[in-house]
Amino acid sequence: MIFYIVRRVLYSIPIALSVGLVCFLLVYISPGDPISAIAPPDAPAEMITQLRRDYGLDKPLPEQFAIWLGRVVQGDLGRSLSTGRPVWGEVSVALKNTVSLAVAACTLAFAIGTLLGGLAAAFRDTWVDRIAMTFAVAGVSVPHYWLGMLLVAVFAVTFPLAPSMGAGPGGTFVWDWAHLPFLILPMVTLSAIPLGLVARTVRGTVIEILHQEFITTLRGKGLRSGGILLHVAKNAAPSVLAVMGLQLGYLMGGSILVETVFSWPGTGFLLNSAIFQRDIPLLQGTILVLALLFVALNLVVDLGQALLDPRIKR
Amino acid sequence: MTLIAAKDTPATDTRAPEKAERPQGYWHGVAKRVLRDKATMFCLLVLLLMFLAIVFAPLIAPYDPYVGSIARRLKPVGTPGYLLGTDELGRDMLTRLLYGGRLSWFIGIMPVAIAFVIGSSLGIIAGFAGGWLNMLIMRATDVFYAFPSVLLAVAVSGALGPGIFNAILALTLVFIPPLIRISESTTAGVRALDYVEAARATGAGPFTIIRVHVLPNVMGPIFVYATGLISVAMILGAGLSFLGLGTRPPEAEWGLMLNTLRTSLYNKPLLAMLPGICIFVTSICFNMVSDGLRGAMEVKN
Amino acid sequence: MPPFDLTRRTLLTGTAVTAAAATLGGLPRPVFAQAASSLNYGISMTDVPLTTGQPDRGAGAYQFTGLTIYDPLVAWELDVADRPGKMIPGLATSWEADPADRKNWIFKLREGVKFHDGSPFNADAVIWNLEKVMNTQAPQFDARQAAQVKPRLPSLASYKKLDDMTVQITAKGVDALFPYQMMWFLISSPTQYQKVGGDWAKFAMAPSGTGPFKMGELVPRVRVELLKNPDYWDKKRLAKVDKLTLTCIPEDLSRASALLSNQVDLIESPAPDSVSRLKQAGMRLSTNVVPHVWNYHLSMVEGSPWRDVRLRRAANLAIDRDAVVELMNGLAVPAVGQVPQSSPWFGNPSFKIRYDMDAARKLVSEAGYSKDKPLKVKFIVPTGGTGQMLSMPMNEFVQQSWAEVGIALELQPVEQEVAYTAWRKGAADPSLAGISGSNVAYVTSDPFYAIVRFYSSKQIAPVGVNWSHYKNAEVDALCDQINATFDPAEQDKLLAKVHEKVVDDAVQVWVVHDVYPHALSSKVKTYTQAQHWFQDLTTLS
Repeated sequence: MIFYIVRRVLYSIPIALSVGLVCFLLVYISPGDPISAIAPPDAPAEMITQLRRDYGLDKPLPEQFAIWLGRVVQGDLGRSLSTGRPVWGEVSVALKNTVSLAVAACTLAFAIGTLLGGLAAAFRDTWVDRIAMTFAVAGVSVPHYWLGMLLVAVFAVTFPLAPSMGAGPGGTFVWDWAHLPFLILPMVTLSAIPLGLVARTVRGTVIEILHQEFITTLRGKGLRSGGILLHVAKNAAPSVLAVMGLQLGYLMGGSILVETVFSWPGTGFLLNSAIFQRDIPLLQGTILVLALLFVALNLVVDLGQALLDPRIKR
Repeated sequence: MTLIAAKDTPATDTRAPEKAERPQGYWHGVAKRVLRDKATMFCLLVLLLMFLAIVFAPLIAPYDPYVGSIARRLKPVGTPGYLLGTDELGRDMLTRLLYGGRLSWFIGIMPVAIAFVIGSSLGIIAGFAGGWLNMLIMRATDVFYAFPSVLLAVAVSGALGPGIFNAILALTLVFIPPLIRISESTTAGVRALDYVEAARATGAGPFTIIRVHVLPNVMGPIFVYATGLISVAMILGAGLSFLGLGTRPPEAEWGLMLNTLRTSLYNKPLLAMLPGICIFVTSICFNMVSDGLRGAMEVKN
Repeated sequence: MPPFDLTRRTLLTGTAVTAAAATLGGLPRPVFAQAASSLNYGISMTDVPLTTGQPDRGAGAYQFTGLTIYDPLVAWELDVADRPGKMIPGLATSWEADPADRKNWIFKLREGVKFHDGSPFNADAVIWNLEKVMNTQAPQFDARQAAQVKPRLPSLASYKKLDDMTVQITAKGVDALFPYQMMWFLISSPTQYQKVGGDWAKFAMAPSGTGPFKMGELVPRVRVELLKNPDYWDKKRLAKVDKLTLTCIPEDLSRASALLSNQVDLIESPAPDSVSRLKQAGMRLSTNVVPHVWNYHLSMVEGSPWRDVRLRRAANLAIDRDAVVELMNGLAVPAVGQVPQSSPWFGNPSFKIRYDMDAARKLVSEAGYSKDKPLKVKFIVPTGGTGQMLSMPMNEFVQQSWAEVGIALELQPVEQEVAYTAWRKGAADPSLAGISGSNVAYVTSDPFYAIVRFYSSKQIAPVGVNWSHYKNAEVDALCDQINATFDPAEQDKLLAKVHEKVVDDAVQVWVVHDVYPHALSSKVKTYTQAQHWFQDLTTLS
């Protein structure tokens, strides 16, 4: 067990480094001279010389990567071209908003998905199952940015129940009553896909467990349904939690469309601006932070799963 | 996309069929089960009709997709002569949706198809060869797995700049890693089976073994998994266009149409919703068909 | 108002206030005596424009973080709606060209003006600010602000302090239009800059100017609060609201939704197709004549197909402007020249811009192209932003029209600020290789801004914004004459002559003039919409 944990943690290091490499290379796959990707369009000559030196652009690629990595490790992600502000500052503010939204959406997806999946499994092959599963398939199939637009039209404009955009009166999201209404629509929209996935996973897992012998034995022993539920939950938990953990990561990295629709000031919104402002340092920094977070989350999920279910030893 | 990883869970269970010696009988059974599955058949039918409609768009479409007239812009659904109304530049919606379907389907299927070829080849090689080759391929895959897929697609198409080619490239890159993983695990499963060992013992070369024993057994599950990715590619591809990273005007594409028509959401709601409905229906059908196929193949004899 | 807008003081993440609110449960407390008036304005910018003095994001941004927090030496009259405004004293009470040498302009500064930080405004502050954008060696030089304002001050040569309340600014030559350029130059507080440690990034978060608003909280990319400056020097222009929040909502539909759901009280440039729904919900629409033109500048650098005047004319003839107006739901006026026909500068061009596809086709074929063998061109176009109107649909419409006559237009959509940068660089810039058109819409309020900066070959980018690299000796001579003419009526005549020439030469493709629509909810009581692209936000209540 310890060996597995140590190995898993160590393995994250080369992965994180490779992620850094991919982000570093983004500057090179963007069209044009790399200096034009990192210097503001109106940059005076001195600034360009300075940037060339800072980034070591005249040196061979591996050395450039080392220089860049050295700065990143010190938390210096460079400056945004369009605003001149440090990228780390921009990303860290946006990240808080994105994480809040992702956690909320994930929780909602987990709650409703488990309910739907559980019902579907309990009433397998009945109309309940069919309705629940149709809902789940719809959840994973709906273009969620489109769903977001419709939700705004219905629940913010036609029936003014929730705000249509933004993260709240303060401009950034804070967990308090004044800001919570702003969370509702983006949260529901973002939860559509994980909701469908959780429902399907729960259904599959529960059905499998219900067919296992020990449940039959328990039933034979006259255990009441409440007790059986507990057993099922205990046994289904690792795989469902694993799905949820991964989904949280995917939502953080994948909320760009939803954030754009709701003007949610998170990392997705930032990425969108970075792309259209051709702000490569900002793009690079945002992606790097999100990807590293995802690597860390994967690690936590794997370790958590290993702790919950000692049978898993890869 | 959010879907990919979680789809792994069921799909990794898609072990190669135990009784693989008689694939013909097995596929016969699968086909039979699919034919009996009404929901899957219905969705297949819908997809088939859609496919025919977009392939024969130039024959069916009543108008030119690129020519409109401002005088008849934003006609509502059901206008005589313009069955599904007209868009913001007065172009016939039905025509635009038919032509738009071509690009949307192309963006949905093309990346998956390319990724299928590349991913399954690499995965099968990795799974069959094992050893350092496996190590090399799988560790490289891990790196791309470290990016949430929407992020990877956005990063690549964002850095490359907008355009349909870049969008397809980005999506392909997103789908290769999961396909490698599935192919590798499925192949590794088959490789361990007795009859493959037997074939090896009789001195059959690796290519022969792959061709005769591995391919027929692994392609099914990989293919089914790939069909499930089509709906993801479609939503994501349309999403890139929606963001302005995919198709560019004047091309018709559902995601782009969704974007340009959204300001009309309040005065022509149905019209503005049409492209979204198209994406939704196609995506649901692909998902249902993929599920149906998987279900039919998983049933143990 | 919906319940989520009740907290009067907004809370910053991580501040003690938040912590206190969180421990108290953070329940929204209704504000009983709503003494402080506030409005929330949904603007179409993707980011809050630069708050250090010279705003970025184009002329449209001046009304948001420029003329609110800061003042220019020479201002523009913006509190009238029924006629075009004129130049009025700002931080300078008077200015004149020194009769001894008309290149020297003497600016008398206003006494008793204080920056928001309490420090006095004087000649030193003006010189310090000029250094800020003109002298790369000055410690306070800010490349970011300089990039914005330098192209707006192409005639400025040097400057010096004459006494504590007088400065002399020298133009490169005799230039009667020079004061117009000075309207774009805003004055930030040198004292505040020292106070924040000589860092413009910090200054942006705590700026100080002399304007009618002080800046409250700034959340980059999201919103900025403008608080009434009760000590403003011009009592006529005191802000009517205590707090004005500008919220960035670049996306058209989101802006309409935000207004419909009462999240904001007014929006600029509502999507034309949402107007009927907005009116139905009781919103008022405010529009006015705007000196503005939505157009394409055509590259005339070596190798560009647009050097052929036949193609330039054909491009103008192949656009149905009435259809564009209809596309805008009536919220536009056809443009058949740089300025409206009612303008004294319009003149009487012999090339009459109209919708004539046959004539266009003929010109294109004379130039050697046709529908089957089209002229292929690529234009850089902004995806949206203040003044760009319905950018993409309009571009798509033009693309469709031109295809009919044999001009295959490829669009390269970019974010607004990227488009502005490309516009300032000029067509010959290597970064614009392959691009032969620019679609930046702009303000044409004064002779320099409407005419001279685009057509004089002395204004070829990056000096001015003669993006096209248009060179015409006659026009050049006329522009020089304008610069030397101090009599307004005479100036108008010369301007009209230039305009006639450039229309005959079809230097640009002119499409429509904007009416700059605003949609206001019933919470907005007054708003004076000037005949300008700038608006005076102090008139809002």
